[in-house]
Amino acid sequence: MNGASRLARRLVPVVGIVLVAFFVVLAVSKPRGEAEVSSPLIGNPAPAVQSTIIGGGDFDLARRKGSWVVLNFFNSTCVPCRNEHPELIKFADEQTSLADGAELFTVVNDDSDEAVSAFFNEKGGDWDKVRDPDGTIAVAFGVAKVPETWVIDPSGFVRMRVAGEVTASLLSTRIAAMRDMSNGLGS
Amino acid sequence: MKRLKGRLVWSMMAVLAAVLLAFGATRSSGPSTQEERIDAISKRLACPTCNGESIYVSRASAAESIRNEIARQVAAGQRVDDEIVAYIESRFPGSLLLPPGEGVDSLVWVLPVVALVCGFGGLVVVFRKWKREGDVQANADDAGVVAAALRDYEDPTEGL
Repeated sequence: MNGASRLARRLVPVVGIVLVAFFVVLAVSKPRGEAEVSSPLIGNPAPAVQSTIIGGGDFDLARRKGSWVVLNFFNSTCVPCRNEHPELIKFADEQTSLADGAELFTVVNDDSDEAVSAFFNEKGGDWDKVRDPDGTIAVAFGVAKVPETWVIDPSGFVRMRVAGEVTASLLSTRIAAMRDMSNGLGS
Repeated sequence: MKRLKGRLVWSMMAVLAAVLLAFGATRSSGPSTQEERIDAISKRLACPTCNGESIYVSRASAAESIRNEIARQVAAGQRVDDEIVAYIESRFPGSLLLPPGEGVDSLVWVLPVVALVCGFGGLVVVFRKWKREGDVQANADDAGVVAAALRDYEDPTEGL
């Protein structure tokens, strides 16, 4: 037996162990969750957004002033978007019960009206879905991947950006804190 | 006199090359069409979701959206190319493909020129040295060494 084949026989179990370890890590690792990330827009006026709503109607972000607005960038084929959907339903229900609850809007990213409508019909969620056919809204906010969730305060200033899956508790807690602060209740 | 004339010719060629380079680097290529502007801007920006691809090349959804935005702003005619690039860069930080010519980043532009000049200078020095060595004349001692070597040389074909 020459040196090369001896070396190959020793390498085989090492490569096997590395591969098994790799698949174990993949299997047990959790997908990347919500992450509040920075943006040059935070603390600045939100970009102008004018579009139409699936099912009829116009959307103008400037006309939402006076309310906390949550924009969720979404695509019906994106797995994290589908995963976070129950959390958005929970958040929307919580906000509906508040006198000054936030308004939630889905911004459709690179998806068809039919696919989005079919998804919401199946999974629930009766808030408005804003079209973004040429990606103007996504570029204005600097959204490259979905899902992303943005919070805009009643004065029209961007307050928060979450990349990846979001939870109802994060949104509710952060908006409540910012609301209290803007009402002068924060320390 | 001949050497002076040679230096003069080389100097004139160097000045001419410098003038042509300066002219080529600073001249305007004239008005561009909207498509040319969109392509030129797209080539300066990196796709935010791909590795090593420009907006111009990439077919990713985010790249398509940015290309649409560039086209929209070019059509609106309210911003020059650098302003459109700055807008996209403000939304997608780190999307500039080419580093700006400021600070440490400017080394990217300066170092190749310095290397070129040093390389050219080195070649000039080496060529001149070789030329000087080529001018050496054999003296009487050298001729004696060669003659002795020829005398001692035995022709391997001799006697065949």
